[in-house]
Amino acid sequence: MNPSEPTPAISAEEFRKFRDFFYRKTGIHFEDTKRYFVDKRLIERIQATDSDNFRNYFVMLRFQASGEELQALINLMTVNETYFFREEYQFRCLVNSILPEIAQRKGRDEPIRIWSVPSSSGEEPYSLAIYLLEHWPRVDEYDIELVASDIDTSILEKARQGCYDKRAVSHLPEPLLRKYFSALPNVQYQISDDLRHSVEFTQVNITDLSQMRGYRDFDVVFCRNLLIYFDDTSRRVAAEALFNALRPGGFICLGHSESMSRITPLFKVRKFPEAIVYQKPR
Amino acid sequence: MSLVKKNHASSGNADHRHLPRDRAGLLRQLQDASPDIRRWAALDLAAFPDTAEALCARLEQETGLPVREALLTTLIKIGGNAVVKGLMPLLRSEDATLRNEVIEALQQLPEAVSPYMETMLRDPDPDYRIFSINVLANLRHPQAPAWLQAVIERDADINVCASAVDVLAEVGGPETVPVLTGLPGRFDNDPFMQFCVQATIRRIQGHDA
Amino acid sequence: MKRVLVIDDATTVRLYYRQILEAQGFAVEEAGNGYEGLEKALAGQFDLYVVDVNMPKMDGYTLVRTIRQEPAICAGPVIMISTETQPQDANAAYLAGANLYLHKPVRPDTLMLYVRLLTGERGS
Ligand SMILES: C[S@@+](CC[C@H](N)C(=O)[O-])C[C@H]1O[C@@H](n2cnc3c(N)ncnc32)[C@H](O)[C@@H]1O
Repeated sequence: MNPSEPTPAISAEEFRKFRDFFYRKTGIHFEDTKRYFVDKRLIERIQATDSDNFRNYFVMLRFQASGEELQALINLMTVNETYFFREEYQFRCLVNSILPEIAQRKGRDEPIRIWSVPSSSGEEPYSLAIYLLEHWPRVDEYDIELVASDIDTSILEKARQGCYDKRAVSHLPEPLLRKYFSALPNVQYQISDDLRHSVEFTQVNITDLSQMRGYRDFDVVFCRNLLIYFDDTSRRVAAEALFNALRPGGFICLGHSESMSRITPLFKVRKFPEAIVYQKPR
Repeated sequence: MSLVKKNHASSGNADHRHLPRDRAGLLRQLQDASPDIRRWAALDLAAFPDTAEALCARLEQETGLPVREALLTTLIKIGGNAVVKGLMPLLRSEDATLRNEVIEALQQLPEAVSPYMETMLRDPDPDYRIFSINVLANLRHPQAPAWLQAVIERDADINVCASAVDVLAEVGGPETVPVLTGLPGRFDNDPFMQFCVQATIRRIQGHDA
Repeated sequence: MKRVLVIDDATTVRLYYRQILEAQGFAVEEAGNGYEGLEKALAGQFDLYVVDVNMPKMDGYTLVRTIRQEPAICAGPVIMISTETQPQDANAAYLAGANLYLHKPVRPDTLMLYVRLLTGERGS
């Protein structure tokens, strides 16, 4: 773009038009208070794509067959990094509401199976492990199997090593950091061997139904902050695969800004005090 | 310790995939009494694109939601003309759930649907025309604004026009504004139509109210 | 202030109902399809639901049937508003649990008349 040209401005009506479209596509809703945040990123993309103004940019975004620009925007509008105890209210929901319900219909000798997909570099599955040990009173009564998967093999290697920087653990209460990690030089923290050995890491592409066939009989799946990045068809396939992976009556937790309402009616909506989660019919 | 490490794959329940997975076997299982067997057959038939017709026929009768979703997922994966031809008649179904599922599936098949769009938008049944506009609403097709503009120029049904106006709020350009302005006059200045037109013109022009 | 949940897949239609209802002192929330309507209905108490029939992910009948199974959370009256004018459409709405079935387009005064009747609200 020619530097002498003024930066394009986004009117309130254009903001609303974009907001409605983006919501329909991704399920992510921006309040009016997010106007500045959204405008700034829109302007960035308008300039990066040489679109001159909002109108031209929006037409491109709306009609582009590849959907590439929408991808670029989603990346800009969402938090792509993961960390310990992210969206903690869902872990609370797990121990206070979901697991008690599952335990009720399970024999003592049946394992409880929990799957974190995508696990990224391990922050989420290890958080689950810590949360269970700390906050679920009946944790010792059951065998709990924790499986964690991602498409990215290098990130899985990182997860298996379990070394994290200050930022990744900044939401963890200090006593837990001391209890489950050892401090390494240059402000790194390594997760304890016990925890490392309690999570099984595997590689999977969630939209590949034949790969996903091996994943079965889970009681709870955490599938957070992945489906927003998919197009409609891939989301649909992923939802089928998650349905296959769950036991009847099993639960799915999605990310904070995600909802099954843009994906599939396959699951029942369950409202618990802490969160809305989805359940495979029994 | 209570957390145990286990191989991810669990022996658990059988998934009926021990049954034959060839084309003939799957087509037979599509009619099985067990919804689970039908669902797995529907998913696995994605490997046989020439079964589109049988899948659409099953969809019309199928009452189990998970089976219907699996049928639709496979049909979307297969795509192409045979699927669109099989799905379009289902838009006339009495079953609202089925109709809306079909609309969503057709939205995922822009290339195969577009050749039929002109005809669909001229169907004698106004409800069918509305469903066609719903299909169009999510198509990434460059013709969409022109098709919608033609609808609001000629269609005599207020609800058909209102549906087109709603989509134009997202895809319309300045060239649509004069046609929009004239629209409420065709319907006795109905307050609903007036409101929709004003809201849409604001969206197109991007001016603040 | 009484709360209304408006569920319709057309943005302009939701805006239309919103504007009418807000002018009469109601607080309005929106949902863009039936499944999302169900999520919102379960998350918050509403005094009235205004529901379209043809919507993606979950149609209006299924939505109304489902919230009628949660009388503790979703007790409010339901108005279904659709473009379909066959008698069996109205029947299906009442069987699902709707209190009233109206045809589109609805005039503002008609909508407000029924909203007041069903919510017992005088309005401003
Ligand atoms: C933003 S992270 C989410 C991590 C964690 N669940 C959280 O919410 O913090 C997204 C992860 O999805 C993984 N991913 C992307 N596409 C995938 C696919 N098709 N199947 C499995 N994982 C995928 C990426 O490798 C990345 O690690």
